[in-house]
Amino acid sequence: MRSAGFLGMGGQGIVFAATVLGETLYRLGYYVAQLQNYGASVRGGAVYGYVVFDEDEIVNPFIEELEVLVILHEQGRRRWENIVRKSEKIIYDKDLVNPVKNGIAMPIAEEADKHGVYRAMNMVALGIASRILGVKGIDEAVDEVLRSRKNYELNIKAYGIGLELAERARI
Amino acid sequence: MAEHFGLKYLRKEVLPTAFCPGCYNGILMNALFQAFMELGIEDLKRFVFVSGIGCSSWIPSPFIKADSLHTLHGRAIPVATGVKLANPELNVIVIGGDGDLASIGGNHLLHAARRNMDLLVIMINNQVYGMTRGQAAPTTPHGMITPTTPYGNPERPMDVASIIAGTNANYVARWCISQYIPLKNSIKDALSRYSRGFRFIEVYAPCVTYVVRREGKTPGEKLKELMKKCIRIETWKNMSREEREKHVATGVFKAEDKPGFIETYNKYIAQALGEK
Amino acid sequence: MTERLFLSGNEAIVYGAIDAGCRFYAGYPITPSSEIMHLMAKELPRVGGVFIQAEDELAAINMIIGASWAGLKSMTATSGPGFSLMQEGIGYAVMTETPLVIVDVMRAGPATGQATKSAQGDLMQARWGRHGDQYLVVIAPMTPQEAYDLIIEAFNIAEAYRVPVVFLMDEFIGHGREIVVRRGADKLVVRRKPSDHEPPFGSKDPRIPPPMPRLGEGHYVLVTGSTHNEWGYRDVHGFETHYKLVTRLKEKIWDNIDKIFKYKVYGDPDARRIIVCFGSTCRPAIDAAERVGGTKVLRLITLWPLNYDKLAEELSGAGKVVVPELNLGQLVYDVAQVYPRSKIRVINKVGGGIPIYPSEIIKVLEA
Repeated sequence: MRSAGFLGMGGQGIVFAATVLGETLYRLGYYVAQLQNYGASVRGGAVYGYVVFDEDEIVNPFIEELEVLVILHEQGRRRWENIVRKSEKIIYDKDLVNPVKNGIAMPIAEEADKHGVYRAMNMVALGIASRILGVKGIDEAVDEVLRSRKNYELNIKAYGIGLELAERARI
Repeated sequence: MAEHFGLKYLRKEVLPTAFCPGCYNGILMNALFQAFMELGIEDLKRFVFVSGIGCSSWIPSPFIKADSLHTLHGRAIPVATGVKLANPELNVIVIGGDGDLASIGGNHLLHAARRNMDLLVIMINNQVYGMTRGQAAPTTPHGMITPTTPYGNPERPMDVASIIAGTNANYVARWCISQYIPLKNSIKDALSRYSRGFRFIEVYAPCVTYVVRREGKTPGEKLKELMKKCIRIETWKNMSREEREKHVATGVFKAEDKPGFIETYNKYIAQALGEK
Repeated sequence: MTERLFLSGNEAIVYGAIDAGCRFYAGYPITPSSEIMHLMAKELPRVGGVFIQAEDELAAINMIIGASWAGLKSMTATSGPGFSLMQEGIGYAVMTETPLVIVDVMRAGPATGQATKSAQGDLMQARWGRHGDQYLVVIAPMTPQEAYDLIIEAFNIAEAYRVPVVFLMDEFIGHGREIVVRRGADKLVVRRKPSDHEPPFGSKDPRIPPPMPRLGEGHYVLVTGSTHNEWGYRDVHGFETHYKLVTRLKEKIWDNIDKIFKYKVYGDPDARRIIVCFGSTCRPAIDAAERVGGTKVLRLITLWPLNYDKLAEELSGAGKVVVPELNLGQLVYDVAQVYPRSKIRVINKVGGGIPIYPSEIIKVLEA
């Protein structure tokens, strides 16, 4: 069973990133489970969204050890320390998150801002996770999913920035 | 001797009714049945009566020969709403008291009226909780002594008909139990000329046991008093504030024939699904 | 028609209910169940059903009672606070033998608690939330796929036994999205209508629920939440009528326990180490059992009526029994009825929407 998740704060689109990833993998024919944890308010508070997937039916999606974890805000990191501690590949934003042991710092927010897609930072994170997962056909499937949603142009551009960031870091 | 016209609408095997001697519920039942008769309604197969808890809730259950749902305290209107939405072909009538419909079920009354739900609601305002020994209700007059207001009711009563007239309800009337003919005609109207949307008839009929007898009067004496006390709303409007408080405004508060909820709902669905 | 979809448990419930023939929904928005309502509002009219947003949960439960008597399969969905408000109506449905399905997507309580966080604290309330002696059926799915499959089962049980069925789900299943195969219903129970001489509220054999008349068809049915005889006439005085009625309502469910009660065994069926669980918590339990081996997982699908004989049978010869729950200990009371409490290990976790992880279960299994 493989997995990837996103940590951040309310308003960053963490759940949306997990949703797009979940739908993408579903389109690619995998068994998928997408779960999230968020607060009662639309803005603020720790938010966590992740996806597990497999070629076989998923017995248990409640796991602590994620294969890929992208952290976009300190609030999320602090709230889900157990996940951060146990996950394999951890990418975190160099400005919004305090240094994570064994994690890789990336200029996610900075790059997003530079390219005018700051509010699609979640899609940058998705791009990074996608590239690390390296599932066959994932970029095409993400494109399809994003086309069916609002703000396609913005989102796909941000996704591309994520792919590039991961490429550059060679992870 | 010919059988009384009302008997065919009653379950004869459960008569006599359980109401106190002289209870005004009987007059209302008579008016209701006369309205049915005059409208040429032979039986009540296509009628569903829904009531809650209280003396007047016992009118349909078990006495009226029709399908009836005797529901929880205050919940007659939502149950009736469910019945009507599930089968709009049925005529759904709610009969209940002021405590049931305006106090514990007050929210449902407001919202069914707001939706203009296709229901006829007859609320018997007997001013107290008659079934449980006459405690104060939201309709109890200011100053009245009851078991829960031993020093006089410090609260002021609710003018239910006026409140419902302020909603989207199609038809709102209040009659006194002493105004038999207009009451009967009003029920007829609410089942014929105004047969859609929310129709609300408040029937002012003080509890003979816990209001009338406490006043030391007989039901007959009280009826005579009510004949003077209950006046048409047009007259009432022109009275001084002091005079108004001594009288009960009766009449038709509102009579419209807008499409009821069912029609409006169906229209939206048809439009949405048609556009697909 | 079989479709492979990616749905949350809440969405799966809607398609399952529609495939089960549900044609009436009344509800009031509440997290984490609202998605059921949103999708019902969209989908029900497409199949000729009726959707209405009630003014509160008291109205919602009573609206579906009315609709059920008018002949439509009806349901509502809610969460803790709304479920509390519905209790009186559910009791009325038990007393009047009204088929209904009530979905409770559990969140952390009591009171407003944590609206978006998963929990399993409504187990006792689902069974015993009403006053008086009353019995209904409680079913708990484990996955979104089961939310689809078992809601069909819930409607069938409601119709077959003329009883409200509580569908006890938690937020993880409600909001978690997974692959759901919409396979349609294998069989649908059709409501039995009475002949002229069959009473609508009584039967000689308590195991056979009475037939249910439909309003408007000339049965002149008397439905009342007060004590009534087999024809619906109120009797608010007699011992005989009341005792007979409530006993029959109990026997209708408990004497059919072999047909209603369902559970499933995972892992090693002969193992002496046993985990007893329900709902989403069973998934880390099954995972843990597979990882360490030598462990049996006893998963209750029907939470009420509970077949204590079966439970005792499954636990006979057990060594260590572990009961993980997203509450402070509710299912453990059932296990303790058939197994010494001193040998039961509990894992209780509630709040924050944090699941019980396999590692935590393994730790207790191996301790």
